[in-house]
Amino acid sequence: MRHDFLDRYSRLDSPIHRASAAVKLVVALALVVAVVLLPASRPMFLVAVAVVLVAVAVLSRVPWRFLVVRVLLLEPFVLGVAMLALFQSGGWRMFLFLVGKCTVCLMVMVLLSNTTPFSDLLRVLKRWRMPALLVTTLSLMYRYVFVLVDEAQRMGRARTSRTFTPRRSRAWRTIATVVSQLFIRSSERAERIYAAMCARGWR
Amino acid sequence: MTAAVEVRDLHFRYGDGTHALRGVGFSVAEGESVGLIGPNGAGKSTLLLHLNGLLPEAWRGEGSVRVGGVQVGPDTLHEVRRKVGLLFQDPNDQLFCPTVFEDVAFGPQQLGLPEAAVRERVARALAEAGTPGFEARAPHHLSVGEKRRVCLAGVLACDPSILVLDEPSSSLDPRGRRELKELLRQIAITKLIATHDLELVVELCSRVIVLDEGAVVAQGPTVEVLADEDLMLRHNLERPHILRHLHPH
Repeated sequence: MRHDFLDRYSRLDSPIHRASAAVKLVVALALVVAVVLLPASRPMFLVAVAVVLVAVAVLSRVPWRFLVVRVLLLEPFVLGVAMLALFQSGGWRMFLFLVGKCTVCLMVMVLLSNTTPFSDLLRVLKRWRMPALLVTTLSLMYRYVFVLVDEAQRMGRARTSRTFTPRRSRAWRTIATVVSQLFIRSSERAERIYAAMCARGWR
Repeated sequence: MTAAVEVRDLHFRYGDGTHALRGVGFSVAEGESVGLIGPNGAGKSTLLLHLNGLLPEAWRGEGSVRVGGVQVGPDTLHEVRRKVGLLFQDPNDQLFCPTVFEDVAFGPQQLGLPEAAVRERVARALAEAGTPGFEARAPHHLSVGEKRRVCLAGVLACDPSILVLDEPSSSLDPRGRRELKELLRQIAITKLIATHDLELVVELCSRVIVLDEGAVVAQGPTVEVLADEDLMLRHNLERPHILRHLHPH
């Protein structure tokens, strides 16, 4: 089973991977803020950032195909947001600019998460005195995304093995069942995890 | 001498009405290894949760659980959980941190140990559990056997005086089972092992408690109890083959 769909390349060895997690996080956040605040009159800055990101991507030795697919997967959300710009005057220009902005931000985050192990990022957040409860929540989320996907996969397989005549309307209903089952199982698992944490002295 | 674990007339009913425990009573002496067997749904896991005070609604119920002479209740939770190390059935529930190091360090950190001591304890516990050098690994990249051993390391790092194990050998391959058995044999503290693996019980436990429908239906020396074919069959169990080799009559 593949357990690395989120950050498959976060443990490669390259100059980018070796850089300190804190530096990478600061740079990434700064870039995102700068790009978000960028006025529409300055599109060249966006291009410059994109060029830098491509250089970083090459240096990091993360396969470019993986990065492109990752960004494309998130693009529908970007389009959804940017679409709203089409309803104002001069919409097209704004639309393209928004898509560009969001895509660059996504590239930053995809690069960050594939050049830095998540646990290192959490350690940085902890050092920066991020509220402990928030850090714990993030770390639990990262840990259990994999378990959840595993569980969904297993349920999916169990369902497929007994699906003899695939029918569209039936499929939607089973998906709904799977989602609700996942929700129930997750909440029960959350209770067991909490018990396990208490058992080792969590207060 | 106070018993390591003493359970008296314990009753428990879940919120949905399931009557899980109906007057359970037994005790485990210091240094003893005791097997807890019984069919599915007998109440084994529920009983084990009580030993760590993990069912808060239980304090209003009947009966008492004492661990090393301390009554389990809202005021003694910290002490009780420090004494009793609980290994859960599903390693995924127990491994909740992004790296093995953080997971094993979780208990010692909660105890407020300084960082150097935490590091040392983690290394020692991982070595004891047969997974030395696993610190940087991510739990979701481990095999089931490795997960189970890292869980055990997480429990051992808290330095418990009683080890309570829920189905420690389930879903392990034969080699994983054998290694786990060896590990458990080497850990010289009081153990209570709930399991369906009767061979494990024969090899590790001197005494066994049979639980069915929320009550203790038999207890005594392992070989004696497990050799009682009628008793075993009556409670959906069976006489393990390994006994034939031990008692060739």
